[in-house]
Amino acid sequence: MNILCLGVNHESAAVEIRERMAFAHKHLAESLHEIQALDSIEEVVVLSTCNRVEIYVTSQNMEPGFDQLRSYLDNHFEMQVGETVDFYKLHNEGAARHLFAVAGGLDSMVLGETEIFGQVKKAYADAQQAGSTSRTLNKLFQQTFRAGKLVRTSTQLTRGATSVGSVAVDLAEKIFGNLSTCRVMLIGAGDMSRRTAKSLHSRGAKSIIVSNRSYDNAVKLAEEMDGKAIHFDHWSDSLNEVDIIVSSTAAPHQVIHAEMISAAMPQRGHQPLFVIDIAVPRDVDPAVSDIENVYLYDIDALEGIASQTRNERKKQVAFCDQVLDQFIEEHGIEALVPSPGGPPQKTPKSDQIHSQDSASSQALPES
Amino acid sequence: MMQTPMDKIFLIISTVCFFGGFAYAVNGLRAGRHHDNRANLLVMGVGFLFLCATLYLRGEIHHRCPITSLHEVLIFLSWSMVLLYFILGKTFRLSLLGVFTAPLVLLFQLAALVGFFLEGEPAAIGKDTDKIDGWLELHASVSLVSFGALALAGVAGLMYLVQNRQLKRKQLKALFYNLPPIRYLLTAVVRLIVIGVVLLTIGTISAFFMRNVPIPLHQGLSILTWLAYVILLALYLSKRIGNTKFAQGAMVLFSLPILILLIL
Repeated sequence: MNILCLGVNHESAAVEIRERMAFAHKHLAESLHEIQALDSIEEVVVLSTCNRVEIYVTSQNMEPGFDQLRSYLDNHFEMQVGETVDFYKLHNEGAARHLFAVAGGLDSMVLGETEIFGQVKKAYADAQQAGSTSRTLNKLFQQTFRAGKLVRTSTQLTRGATSVGSVAVDLAEKIFGNLSTCRVMLIGAGDMSRRTAKSLHSRGAKSIIVSNRSYDNAVKLAEEMDGKAIHFDHWSDSLNEVDIIVSSTAAPHQVIHAEMISAAMPQRGHQPLFVIDIAVPRDVDPAVSDIENVYLYDIDALEGIASQTRNERKKQVAFCDQVLDQFIEEHGIEALVPSPGGPPQKTPKSDQIHSQDSASSQALPES
Repeated sequence: MMQTPMDKIFLIISTVCFFGGFAYAVNGLRAGRHHDNRANLLVMGVGFLFLCATLYLRGEIHHRCPITSLHEVLIFLSWSMVLLYFILGKTFRLSLLGVFTAPLVLLFQLAALVGFFLEGEPAAIGKDTDKIDGWLELHASVSLVSFGALALAGVAGLMYLVQNRQLKRKQLKALFYNLPPIRYLLTAVVRLIVIGVVLLTIGTISAFFMRNVPIPLHQGLSILTWLAYVILLALYLSKRIGNTKFAQGAMVLFSLPILILLIL
């Protein structure tokens, strides 16, 4: 029995190709049954996300298996004559290792992101529900979840945050712990502050006050987050009531001065204040950073931390590979996927496959 | 007669365990593998069991609470610190407290080991029950547990200062991701000082009922320590000092209990 993987990802195919090839979730069971019905295919799991479409199958015969899969995809997605798609073809240990790396976030566009682990789990659960998996893929995916978890827990690949919004949330949690008791004030209702506030809201911050020059916009954003809007002239009155300030006004001058914060701090007792300044030009006087219990982060500081995390994650890739090598050695992937056709494939290979079928072009919804 | 070497062996094993746990945790932090600290806790737990066994054997020798010499006092202090860490570390959500506590425990145990190997035959003080003073036992044991709590308060204060410095300077090192939030650390410092002060109150008061009242310097230092921690707490709770000074105070004031132990 061979394990085969045929797929495209964010590196091998442009978004136009990936969105055409995405499997619609509501038709997934049907597609799984169609693939399983192919002569050479026995088991199948389809992993279809924004950044990848990968089909994992088991087949007694490797080449016919790949050929039939390719033909199925050409037909299913109505590829036109001469259309070129950079599929990668992996088999046995190569396919297993690739799946482990995918589940561990090593093959993601944002290196180390953890959402993919849940997507792999969902893909497997969907296939199980559709009855398209059996002994080999069941074992492979169980091993995959162990390998993915191992990569996440035994390396620094997932440590830190890689976007400005998530860095702000991470910092807030390192200052306050549980955010459910934190009160947040947004000064300015721009896109960045909206996204940051939503991140904080999603991590538990409940009480949100929005202040904006346009009161209507403040009301609109406050309603989105079950918060309350206040007039821009009155935001400083609420300084001693909030724990986190997100400022992103379009003002050409500083809006929050050190004197204002200094005056508000005694009324706050020993409670820290986290000030996030994502405006350019900056809204907050840098001297605010010198006040005890006040933590000021501007856009450069946040981006710097995100960038540092991305670099750290890149440095972790070699170590993650070692972890996977050790996992494969310890868990005997060869026993799981015996390869009668030759020695196990160590490194992923990519074959360019040209679509042969003629059909009309039709965009498919992204799952 | 066979018990005497065993207590030393147990103490050596315990010290090795704490050293191993500390080295493992530091290595894990450097490699970013501190998420799974069960192995570290296990090693610390084994070290604690051997420490219990050491104290038990010393108690059997003396027929009383094994705090008859400075090195036994240091072992008892290490024991109370590790015990409080196991009890309170989880409650106060203080991951990494063990990593910060271990060096202090190691230092105490190494000093105790030197004392163990230099001492002569330990005396069976408690065999003559007339010599046992219940108030002395209460004073010494409760005071030492209070010192354990105050030591942990100093450790939590140090953790706060490290985390605060990283946040202020915007330089987030490996420790940043493993240290608890600063709000939890400050809460822990307050609670540990309260626990320490309450126990120290009992310890200091019980000293007045002892058959042989301690020397004035010892008694004076105990009262000074109690007073210093009460003042620190009062200043903080009345908002006269900020978080940084409070954390620094918790660290610096631990020199007073150390001084008390040194003049024993």
